[in-house]
Amino acid sequence: MNNKVVAMILAGGKGTRLESLTKKVAKPAVSFAARYRIIDFPLSNCANSGINTIGVLTQYESTSLDSYLGNGEKWGLNGVHALMATLSPKQTEEGSNWYKGTADAISRNIDFLDNMEADYVLILSGDHIYKTKYNDMIDLHISSGADVTISCIEVDPSEASRFGIVITDEKDRIVEFQEKPRKPKSNLASMGVYVFTWKVLSKLLKEDMKNENSSHDFGKDIIPAMLASNKKIQAYRFKGYWRDVGTIASLHQANMDIALDRHLMDLYDGDLSTRIYSEDPSSVPQYVGPEGSVTRSIANQGAIILGKADCCVISSDAVLEEKTVCKNCVIMEGARIKVGAHVSNAIISAGTVIEENERINLNSKEIVLISRKA
Amino acid sequence: MAKIVGICNLHDGPYLGGLTERRPLAANTFLGRYGLMDFALSNFTNSHISQIGILVEKKGTSIHDHIKDGHAWIPNTKTGDIRFFTNEEVFADVKFNTDISNILSNRDYFVYADADYFVFTPPFFLMSFDFRPLIKAHVESGRDITLAYIHSNNAEANFKNCDGLELNPDGTVKDFYRIAARKRVADISLETFVISKYALLSLCELSKEVSILYSLRKMIKHVCANQQMSIATYRFDGVVYPILSLQDYVRHSMDLLKYENRQKLFLDDWPIYTISHNTPPVLYGPKAVVQNSFIANGSIIKGTVINSIISRDVVVKEGAVVKNSILFTHTKVGQGVKINHVLADKQVKILNSSELSGEENEILYIKKGVIV
Repeated sequence: MNNKVVAMILAGGKGTRLESLTKKVAKPAVSFAARYRIIDFPLSNCANSGINTIGVLTQYESTSLDSYLGNGEKWGLNGVHALMATLSPKQTEEGSNWYKGTADAISRNIDFLDNMEADYVLILSGDHIYKTKYNDMIDLHISSGADVTISCIEVDPSEASRFGIVITDEKDRIVEFQEKPRKPKSNLASMGVYVFTWKVLSKLLKEDMKNENSSHDFGKDIIPAMLASNKKIQAYRFKGYWRDVGTIASLHQANMDIALDRHLMDLYDGDLSTRIYSEDPSSVPQYVGPEGSVTRSIANQGAIILGKADCCVISSDAVLEEKTVCKNCVIMEGARIKVGAHVSNAIISAGTVIEENERINLNSKEIVLISRKA
Repeated sequence: MAKIVGICNLHDGPYLGGLTERRPLAANTFLGRYGLMDFALSNFTNSHISQIGILVEKKGTSIHDHIKDGHAWIPNTKTGDIRFFTNEEVFADVKFNTDISNILSNRDYFVYADADYFVFTPPFFLMSFDFRPLIKAHVESGRDITLAYIHSNNAEANFKNCDGLELNPDGTVKDFYRIAARKRVADISLETFVISKYALLSLCELSKEVSILYSLRKMIKHVCANQQMSIATYRFDGVVYPILSLQDYVRHSMDLLKYENRQKLFLDDWPIYTISHNTPPVLYGPKAVVQNSFIANGSIIKGTVINSIISRDVVVKEGAVVKNSILFTHTKVGQGVKINHVLADKQVKILNSSELSGEENEILYIKKGVIV
């Protein structure tokens, strides 16, 4: 056994709660922290963990996401023995269908995983923000002899009912699983990040495919079925920053976390082994003008800041013209804030133009999405 | 369509003080984001030339470091490539290590290259130059060489010691002369030219009889003076920022802080490509004051930066004041430090509370790695 790990990244969801941000873009391709897309995080984590065989399951608006992913070169996945394949639903002898659930997406790529000679499969979500290496988790999976290891994080008890909650014994073996419970029995939440022994998973998926009552979902079907059949389910306790950015407010907050608090997730720690890789557009250098001011913010190359920005995340080729004031805003690539406009507490989507002297959301703390397509 | 190979010629470049002592001019950082040779290479890319050769004179490591596999400048790494040529036999011998001897020591490549013409360009004239009309003009002219020039009304200030051109009524070069003091209006050679494979090889062979110390630049003057080759010209009407001295490097860097200047060099349909360093966006602290400056990714700015150019991964701590300065990659400016008119080379550390000041026309250069 070579202990070969293949990562499968679930990136097909629509992200409905991100409103018009995902109207034409899959959620994993939404821009994040001024220079990244969300999916850069799991992909870079894989690359930094030495996992160089990756399947990305795409479905919703797959063309733009597939084009961004390309051959994986942005994450260094174009070297010898490396492979990044985008796996969209396909027509087969059995017919053609959309992926019906997270488990179904993997079931329909059993051949891919067999061909890749996977010993272990790392199941990841394409829309999680965190900086990690998976090696410790994989080592734990192998040494504990588990059938599946679930990465778990302690959440605020008041939030626990939003998550899949696990209950463990003294050896962190999972004895019970509650999917979004009204009365959670613990605050240890599943992150939806799994390491499976491929032989075990492959068998389970084949059974799940035949089960007409299954919704073909890892959290709802596969893990409960494993518990029921007494499979060995190990919890891996993840420490550190991790966010599932599902809503406009949480996407905004996660952006601000990067800009305002390096203790949460530090992109500036100088650790070359955990860098996040991304696309590098050929934009001009970032310029701050004579009357410009930028504080408590992050800004990418190509941004032009002639006005004032405080607590902002400013992507490439975004322009803040003279006498503008942006506070607590996420300004995505190519957005333009024209002369004299004031905007607060907003996500300004890519390419949006804010007209001269406009006043937007100055007196409300609620985060608004401003999305105007030319 | 004529087949073209582009050659970026790193031989015979100007001396920029400390900047060119450690690395070739071409590999120096510019505006905090580019390598100087990115302009020449991007001109090839944007002119759809994807067979590129680099004549490396010395210190090739920093050139390799920057170019890597070349994918940042060529659209397809199978059908195009960037090759490095060095003159192995006489590498260490400055006098004999000319561009011509480099070509001759790699003669087979030039003989068998899938090229009708070569376009040569140096790294020290920063311009957005579409080579396609130059090539077209050359093919139509039937001359041996077509040399690009710029018409300057301020020649002595911008192009001192460059080659001025005296033109015949038919646009061919009559004579070359050196741009000296008090020369205002002149046609300046951009050392950018098109030459057929046959003419290039003939020129190199001929140099063996003339002088083995001659560079291409000198040989072209020689064959012009002796009427052995005819040299057509092509007038380039864009802007050119010549980097011929450390003063030029500083002055033009600062000139480009002005939007109206930037707009003429960085054209919308002519991107300047460079290599990615995977650095995070710039992080600005609560007390950051930044005015009229370029700030490159990976930097952390907590102090004041005015009229300055900050390269990748620079740290400016709280209470520090950086004015009229250029900071190269990984420079650290400590708390309370005040610097004015300083050029800090890579990895310089300026520790707490020191004050350093150059003068407006005489920037204070701090060598790579120095701790002040």
